[in-house]
Amino acid sequence: MAELEFDGDGFLTNPDIWTEDVAKEIAKADGIEMTEKHWAVVNVIRNNFIEKGNAPMVRTICKETGLKLKDIYELFPLGPARGACRVAGLPKPDGCV
Amino acid sequence: MEKLTKEQIDKAIALLKMRPDSKLETHLNACVHCGLCASSCMYYKAMKENKFIPARKVELVASLYRRYCTLTGRVAPFLVNARELDDQMAEEMIDSLFGACTMCGRCVKHCSIGVDIAYIVHFGRRMLAAMGLVPKTLQATVDAALTTGNNMGIETSDFVDTIQWMEEELQDECGEDARIPLDETDKDILYTLNPREPKFFPLSIAAIAKIFYAAKESWTISTHMYDVTNYGLFNGNNEQAGQIAKRLHDEVIIKRCKRLVLGECGHGSRANRWEAPNYLQQPYEFETITAVELINNYIRTGRIKIDKSLNQELVTLHDPCNLVRNGGLLSELRFAVKSAVSNFVEMTPHGMDNFCCGGGGGQLAMSEYNERRIKIGEIKADQIRKTGAKVVVTPCHNCVDQLSQLNQVYHLNVKIKTIAEIVADALVLDKE
Repeated sequence: MAELEFDGDGFLTNPDIWTEDVAKEIAKADGIEMTEKHWAVVNVIRNNFIEKGNAPMVRTICKETGLKLKDIYELFPLGPARGACRVAGLPKPDGCV
Repeated sequence: MEKLTKEQIDKAIALLKMRPDSKLETHLNACVHCGLCASSCMYYKAMKENKFIPARKVELVASLYRRYCTLTGRVAPFLVNARELDDQMAEEMIDSLFGACTMCGRCVKHCSIGVDIAYIVHFGRRMLAAMGLVPKTLQATVDAALTTGNNMGIETSDFVDTIQWMEEELQDECGEDARIPLDETDKDILYTLNPREPKFFPLSIAAIAKIFYAAKESWTISTHMYDVTNYGLFNGNNEQAGQIAKRLHDEVIIKRCKRLVLGECGHGSRANRWEAPNYLQQPYEFETITAVELINNYIRTGRIKIDKSLNQELVTLHDPCNLVRNGGLLSELRFAVKSAVSNFVEMTPHGMDNFCCGGGGGQLAMSEYNERRIKIGEIKADQIRKTGAKVVVTPCHNCVDQLSQLNQVYHLNVKIKTIAEIVADALVLDKE
């Protein structure tokens, strides 16, 4: 992890150097052990970011993973932005998050 | 930071010299250095460095005023501690005025002579904005609002999809006639949202829609302009703040609605209700109220029925600075929460003397000052812990986000809810 750089909020400075191992490390810092469901969420976010350059709506995450909103908030207690997007290696979204 | 150019400096000084009224001079020259503000400030309390004392923040701007706007300061600046606007000064201003103030205004209430310190900090931010020195992260949020119409850059199709999803959830619970009407005209209410609701936390939209359903309200949300936030209040660029405010103003006119109802957002309520008519230099043709006041009207007039026994857990209230200390809703918030819960406990201190969540003034957007934001938030975390509450209610999505982070970092183990959510939990729907 020594070579990884984060912004003040703990979001990866360079999203391109993200790997699954990096995700595991970030998740661990939040007290999260990555399960299949965690990976499903992270992969949707990651793919959306690669395709569109931003974080997906939580609606998209639910649709594509088949998970309920409640599940997402339980999997990532800090929510889709500070929780899931950070694990997925995205830059911090703008706005009140 | 790159070296300041003469052009940049001139722009900031011009602002200092352009005075539409005497407020700036009065407040810049009134500080008697009593130091009472120090212990009122979360930054100073948490970090005990002199640069965090509110009077020191005022002094930065005041020393520039003396240097450029008084005779002694121009001729013999050393006699009156007048300072040059140079690179060093600009860096100190960025660090103190953007990076170490939530503009919560608690120091203003504690000031022995009532200096409007938050106003001076905002003026300093205006000088920095004139020099193009707004922190990038904060400016990015303003830019997103200016270029896309909402501060998270949500596309309209995505927004509509999420609203329809919440409408389906609502209909599952309340029946087919429960709706979230989009882009309708001639309604009593144009309702607004914080973009983080549709983007990441849409349950609060379903909650307010359920309340509107119970109240049989005539309402709509505009897909073109629904954003209640205005980060132009924080970046010091009043022109941009005015552009964002004007869009929402115009949308009420275009949709021919009678009232603008501000979703649960502290700074957005302040920006749209108190500041916007000043940005635009015009009185508004329609009434502007907050969602909390509207909900209270329903409760007072019996338009909705609430059974507070449905909320049994111990609840405390976090007062958003821009709604209470700077917004006048002290008793309104308490009326709403106490109407909806069985067990309520106040924080100490609360109300006009409440501590900020730590994420106000644009801090939540500025990653570079994250460490400070979490550090000052410990004061709020301790306040919450001491109440023993299981639920913290706050009518501001910015506060919700900061409190959620504090909840995790400081292991508070509480739930954070908006007022619409706690009221919706206690709502009794008429069985027909």
